[in-house]
Amino acid sequence: MDDLIVLKNLRKVYKMGDEKIIALNSIDLNIKRNEFVCLLGTSGSGKSTLLNMMAGLEKPTKGEIIINGHHLEKMNETQLTKFRQLNIGFVFQSYNLIPTLSAMENVSLGLTFKGVPKAKRDKMAKEMLENVGLGNRLHHKPSEMSGGQQQRVSIARAFVGKPKIVFADEPTGNLDTKTTFEVMDLITGMARENNQTLIIVTHDNEISSYAHRVVYIRDGNIEKITHNQIITEGEKTK
Amino acid sequence: MSNIDLIRMGIKNLWRRKLRTFLTVLGVIIGTSSIVVMLSLGFGLTQGFQDQISQWGDLTTINVYQRWVDPSMPSKDQVKLDDNAVAAFKAIPHVIAVSPTIETYGTVINGRYIAQVPIKGIDPDVMAEFGFEVAEGRLLNNSDELTVVFGGGMQHNFWDPKARVWREPKINLMKDRMSLTLNPNYGYEQPGQKTPNYKEYKIKTAGVLVEGNWETDYGIYMPIKVVQQLIKDKEKAENQKPQKGNNNESQYQRINVKVDDMKNVQDVQETIKNMGHEAYSLNDQLESMKQTAGIIQAVLGGIGAISLLVAAIGITNTMVMSIYERTKEIGVMKVIGASLKDIKRLFLFEAALIGLLGGILGICFSYLLSFIINHFGSSFLGNFFGTGGESKISIIPIWLIFAAMAFSALIGIISGYYPARRAMNLSALEAIRTE
Repeated sequence: MDDLIVLKNLRKVYKMGDEKIIALNSIDLNIKRNEFVCLLGTSGSGKSTLLNMMAGLEKPTKGEIIINGHHLEKMNETQLTKFRQLNIGFVFQSYNLIPTLSAMENVSLGLTFKGVPKAKRDKMAKEMLENVGLGNRLHHKPSEMSGGQQQRVSIARAFVGKPKIVFADEPTGNLDTKTTFEVMDLITGMARENNQTLIIVTHDNEISSYAHRVVYIRDGNIEKITHNQIITEGEKTK
Repeated sequence: MSNIDLIRMGIKNLWRRKLRTFLTVLGVIIGTSSIVVMLSLGFGLTQGFQDQISQWGDLTTINVYQRWVDPSMPSKDQVKLDDNAVAAFKAIPHVIAVSPTIETYGTVINGRYIAQVPIKGIDPDVMAEFGFEVAEGRLLNNSDELTVVFGGGMQHNFWDPKARVWREPKINLMKDRMSLTLNPNYGYEQPGQKTPNYKEYKIKTAGVLVEGNWETDYGIYMPIKVVQQLIKDKEKAENQKPQKGNNNESQYQRINVKVDDMKNVQDVQETIKNMGHEAYSLNDQLESMKQTAGIIQAVLGGIGAISLLVAAIGITNTMVMSIYERTKEIGVMKVIGASLKDIKRLFLFEAALIGLLGGILGICFSYLLSFIINHFGSSFLGNFFGTGGESKISIIPIWLIFAAMAFSALIGIISGYYPARRAMNLSALEAIRTE
């Protein structure tokens, strides 16, 4: 397995007036293709900043982000958008579905921007929603669904374009324990099925047990990295 | 993002805030229709002036006279209005007909009624080209001798010199037997005054012109060769020797030049003037009236433009508000793959659609207003503008419809440009964090 994501000496400093806040000090990390990595840390540790930078949503102050051979820190906004469109799926803590669109429309929105014709993207969106168990909720608005269902729509949206990498920022933060496991099983299952790289940010140790590798982040630095025995879905839900 | 998806998404976004979209569109409707109606008043005014002037005569005819030259000056500068001039005028581009004209005065006698009229000699071949139209009978032709075509208003110009009160005479210009004399005092001869022995010619009527043209209503038309003969007879009766120069057979008092289109009249007139003649057309008046109408129209249009400006600000306001509401949505769209261009296009399209929709509805509304003005306002407004009750006060040309639609859409795009840029430049990460 080769390295899909390479971070070199990554540093991010926020300026708040005269005060400088170091969000990330100096991060060096390699993530392999098809790997499932969990970034674990307390709030304010810098784990979300790290995720946003890998997704091209934030620029580093210093250092390099190389994904699949492309230097993200050198790209402009337009190139980054294109890059995200083709390579990256995103799952948020607060789902971030568009409230006026139905489940199917939300899932197919990304495909719309890619220029996929309506008939094709509707079919893809429908299949994806059936895969996440929402075949009977295709035309419901987000407000008519539970948190777990909304998050599954959000997962469908992230995976529908078959991106190389899926980022998830506290995907289970707003869910109860039972739903958390359902959602985690779903995400990991899908990533494995499609040979995708999955990077999840969390502060929950339970979730980190799903990952191949857990990266502990503290005060903007990598504290330690642990390797997990891979646990199959079936065993976990029991 | 394909265009069809862009349109679908844009319409959906506007539809989801129906009331606000409607109010913004209403602003554009008012703005567009105020400009269109104001401009239509200007067009109505121009048309009114034109109608008025065309009553005075033909707008595409140029009257050419001999330029007056100081007799003490050497006369070699004098350009003659002769057959050479006729040929020269015919050669000017856009000229479709040239007719020399001579004019004299005479009296038409119809039983006990008489009419004193100008007798106009004209080339029978070009009468139709000069726009003469008969109400009855026919125009002159080349074989006519003592045959006349009456002006449209001649019916009302006969009177009985012996009657004390004028009463509309009962005459039939087509059928009555009439005669013509060039005696200027016919019916008013003073006892004892010696009158030259003027001839009295029996005349036949070829036709009567359509009434309503101030230039042709009053007078009778005869072939120019015949009129020249009449003048010779008159001079003979008065024992005058033919005057040198002016009434010489080969020279004319006036040459009428017919131009193919009103817009070419000015050029042809200039050309003729440069040849050393004096030229006059009703176009001279029309030009100055058009300028006046143009100024009035500009002022009216300016007033209308203010309301469209307000509407444009309304569009900008609506779109900015929309961005505030949709900040999070914009952020999400950016993260899941909307390009900067997509975002910009979406907002521009929404703004343009508001403009276009307002433009289309505004034109419908303008038509309604225009109809109401023409229908109910002509009685008093018509008098105010001095165009008379006949012509329309408000005219909307076809091109104005398309211009107004294109312009309102353009206003929409301009108004939407700032909001669209703003949406485009929103930071995705910050946008997504807004609640």
